[in-house]
Amino acid sequence: MIELRDIHVTFNKGTPLETKALRGIDLVVPEGQFLTVIGSNGAGKSTALNVLAGLAPVESGSVRLDGRDITNWPVHRRARMISRVFQDPKMGTCEDLTIMENFALAHGRTAPRGFRFAIGNDMRDKTAERVKVLGLGLENRLDDKVGLLSGGQRQAVSLLMAATGPSSVLLLDEHTAALDPKTADFVLDTTRTIVDRLRLTAVMVTHSMAQALSTGERTVMFHRGKIIFDASGEERAGMSVEDLLHLFKKTQGEELSDDSLLLG
Amino acid sequence: MSLYELLGTLETGFVFGLVALGAYLTFRILDFPDLTVEGSFPLGAAVCAALIVTLGWNPWLATAAGAVAGFVAGWATAYLNVRFRILHILAGILLAISLYSINLRIMSGPNKPLLGVDTVFDAFGGFGAPTYIVSPIFLGAVTLVVLTLVNLFLHTGWGMAMRAAGANPAMAEANGINVGRMKLYGVGLANAMTALAGALFAQIFGAADAYMGIGVIIVGLASVIVGTSLLPSRTILQATLACIVGAVLYRFAVALALNADFLGLRASDVQLVTACLVALALIGQYSGSSFKRFFKGADKKDD
Repeated sequence: MIELRDIHVTFNKGTPLETKALRGIDLVVPEGQFLTVIGSNGAGKSTALNVLAGLAPVESGSVRLDGRDITNWPVHRRARMISRVFQDPKMGTCEDLTIMENFALAHGRTAPRGFRFAIGNDMRDKTAERVKVLGLGLENRLDDKVGLLSGGQRQAVSLLMAATGPSSVLLLDEHTAALDPKTADFVLDTTRTIVDRLRLTAVMVTHSMAQALSTGERTVMFHRGKIIFDASGEERAGMSVEDLLHLFKKTQGEELSDDSLLLG
Repeated sequence: MSLYELLGTLETGFVFGLVALGAYLTFRILDFPDLTVEGSFPLGAAVCAALIVTLGWNPWLATAAGAVAGFVAGWATAYLNVRFRILHILAGILLAISLYSINLRIMSGPNKPLLGVDTVFDAFGGFGAPTYIVSPIFLGAVTLVVLTLVNLFLHTGWGMAMRAAGANPAMAEANGINVGRMKLYGVGLANAMTALAGALFAQIFGAADAYMGIGVIIVGLASVIVGTSLLPSRTILQATLACIVGAVLYRFAVALALNADFLGLRASDVQLVTACLVALALIGQYSGSSFKRFFKGADKKDD
């Protein structure tokens, strides 16, 4: 379970560039829930994800995960419990390493790394089996460097890597935004399958309202560093992109200026 | 070039093969341009020589102690970078210049002759073969052992983590790797190899000298660049082998340049020759595409 309590984040504090990225976020995500997060540019949705991952410094407030206060934990320590898929397909994998070696790295996220060989026959077989599910033929290319794969393939690999080992939380940071529509659909389907099968607590940040409503079971909307809308269950099930826009206008009393939210 | 010269060049080539492996680890694996080696090479020599001459240590132990001292120096450089965010190059320079003073202290003077004492090379006196034949074989073996260890290490869980820490720090952190710690150990390890090379170098030439570190960084880099641009370096094994071959080839290139009378070069020109070779190799490696553009500029307008 994720608990964010009264989180404030300010960038460039005390300079003319001071930006209040988050102003008092309270968010509780129960175990096993798939939450989608939406908002225009600069709304603070990515910052919120970074607060969870440990990349953004929290000014005040607390971050708790499964009851433990992790507010001051460094990224690599949180990584034992939190896995992450980046927006840029190049970020989630190591292109100089082979597919197999990347999976060995991901395996070390939850299992202790030692001075034994990182890759055993057992791990090889298991990885081949897991990669086969993608249907991309990657099980025959385990010793190819990841740099040889396409963006979509790399993102699918990142996703499988993030689902290696017993994590509690999966963070998805607009992980389909850099892909073409067809590949994006494929990666999104894979995401749904994996989250469903492993019963992960997942937080997905997205730019597309349609995607936010059609994926997962709860949607929150960020605006200017605050959560302005939180829907789940039947309320969300009957909702369309137009309803969401209408609601947004009503709560904010202003036109949504970011066209990219309408598209897609 | 006589047989004696040839074996001597091979000898130095192998010693600098260790420096090249260190440079490969820092520059290529960790993406941490490390200048500490200018100080840790003579540090290894100084510690080794002082321990043998002044304290009468066993030469093997003294050599190992030299390598440990190198590890500490590299660790300190990485610490300045990781903990205090001092630019890696600057941290290396700081360590290198402070090691210059430290080395003078260790040797209580600008050099420490190793005359009339036992060195690791004396252990092979019993084989009947003269030292100038035995020592290149011994050094070749040492270099191969270190190469094997580096290869095995880079395929362990820790080694893989170190490679990721250098290649993609954000991804490494997200996968639970403490990138800062990897730098501490990695740069330490690289300097341990460099200091080991320094300790062996001092024992070949019969003295440790405060100035023997000048240009070591360039020699190490030159070996990596020459090796990896001439030989295939797709896997770690290929790349590390290429580094050692590069070190040996580089030594031969320098020896030939200095031996060719028509060039009119002197032994003191060696640093200039080194710098020119490295610059040429770098130009060839990194701006290959701009070379092509320069020559094919006219017919590449369509893209």
